[in-house]
Amino acid sequence: MKIEIKNVSHTYDVEVLNNLNLNLTKYKSVAIIGVSGSGKSTLIRMMSGLEKPTSGEILINNYDVRDDAYKKKIGFVFQSHNLFPHLSLKRNITLVLEKTRGFEKAEAEAIALKNLSLLHLEDQVNKLPKNVSGGQAQRASIARALSMDPDIIFLDEPTSSLDPILTHEVLKAIEELRDLGKEFILVTHVMSFARAFADYVIFMSEGRIIEQGPPTILDHPQTRELIEFMEKVR
Amino acid sequence: MAIITIAAFVAFVILRQSSDFSLSSFEPYTYLLSQGIINTIYVSIISLLGSLVLGFILYLLSISKVKYFNALTDVFTEIIYGTPLLVLIIIMAFVIGPAFGTFNRNAMGFTALIVYMAPYMKNVYKSAFSSISEEQYMAMDLFGFTPYQRYRYIIIPQVIRILMPPLMNNFSMIIKGSALLNVLSYTELFYAVKVVTSQTFAFVEGYILMWVFYLMITIPLSQATKYIEKKWSL
Repeated sequence: MKIEIKNVSHTYDVEVLNNLNLNLTKYKSVAIIGVSGSGKSTLIRMMSGLEKPTSGEILINNYDVRDDAYKKKIGFVFQSHNLFPHLSLKRNITLVLEKTRGFEKAEAEAIALKNLSLLHLEDQVNKLPKNVSGGQAQRASIARALSMDPDIIFLDEPTSSLDPILTHEVLKAIEELRDLGKEFILVTHVMSFARAFADYVIFMSEGRIIEQGPPTILDHPQTRELIEFMEKVR
Repeated sequence: MAIITIAAFVAFVILRQSSDFSLSSFEPYTYLLSQGIINTIYVSIISLLGSLVLGFILYLLSISKVKYFNALTDVFTEIIYGTPLLVLIIIMAFVIGPAFGTFNRNAMGFTALIVYMAPYMKNVYKSAFSSISEEQYMAMDLFGFTPYQRYRYIIIPQVIRILMPPLMNNFSMIIKGSALLNVLSYTELFYAVKVVTSQTFAFVEGYILMWVFYLMITIPLSQATKYIEKKWSL
């Protein structure tokens, strides 16, 4: 996947991102880590086009992330599952496929069932999100993202609202997706997952990229910020 | 058990009355009484629909970017909250109505009910619409739903589920409030009973009958509300 971030800054009330630049070409799975408030969630939302930066430009796989065509190429998994609460797990997928991707009912249903099964939810397809566990809802949300057949899947702290057992369950499910030929950009708090799953790691602090490189940078931190961070998460 | 307790209390109260309890004197007046019930339901439905519309307008004004409209709804709400319904009905029929050249007291009475309920309806809309999270809007944006599809498939189905229970509570409030229209000699249930008892002198029976009639309308309504609340909760 090709990621080009050029002079991106963003301000809400305070500065969240400070003149970020990044140029990556060959990685398939990029993890963004950092303490809360380091700007990592803002960055992943901007890379997915969900939020617009105050200034600067982001190109991913040669698409400007503000293009509508780009939105059809990506899937996004939110911190909390963010399924539509009035629709069953299956309908959460088929509605989107039928209304925005032009699939026939039967085709949409087949795709939904295939992806829900891939995430081990075949017994839960007709339940409402409130009637399944947080881990199951989050997996359904991943199935929904997969069903759009995206090139890139964004995961914004997909386990931050889950307890350790459900976290393990969801991360295991994500690891199983590695062989689907998709590309991933993710924010995570779970270092073991970043190590095992990502082939490139970006460490952020106070709106800047402090260190970046293969996951081995986590074992040999060079900067004071990453040393302190690794001590805290260990 | 609870129902038996209440029934025992009612039986006690009836038996303690000095005169014999007999409903036979009401037979010649069944037409007037049923007219009263029908009018109570009629005025309540009109007021419900009216306050739904006026409440929605208030809601739109309250979320408007124009500060003047926000302030206007605040002032209006404050005034209505501070006014007893009976006072509002009288002011509408005898002060505001004539000021606008209308002496149709029934219509002004209906209007008073509508105006009185509108701020409550505004709150119902407000809570219903605010219950759809920002993330859901982001997801709709990401999937590329058209504005029509957003409302048709995502927003309105959720809003209606959240809206229904408080809406039905408000309907019950309207039904009870409509009894006050008797001060305008509008033939709703309370007024009908008042007229009948003034001729039969069976006051105790009349008042009990009236009470039972109101409960016959409001209790099924509140039971239906509970059912919907349980069935539709998200």
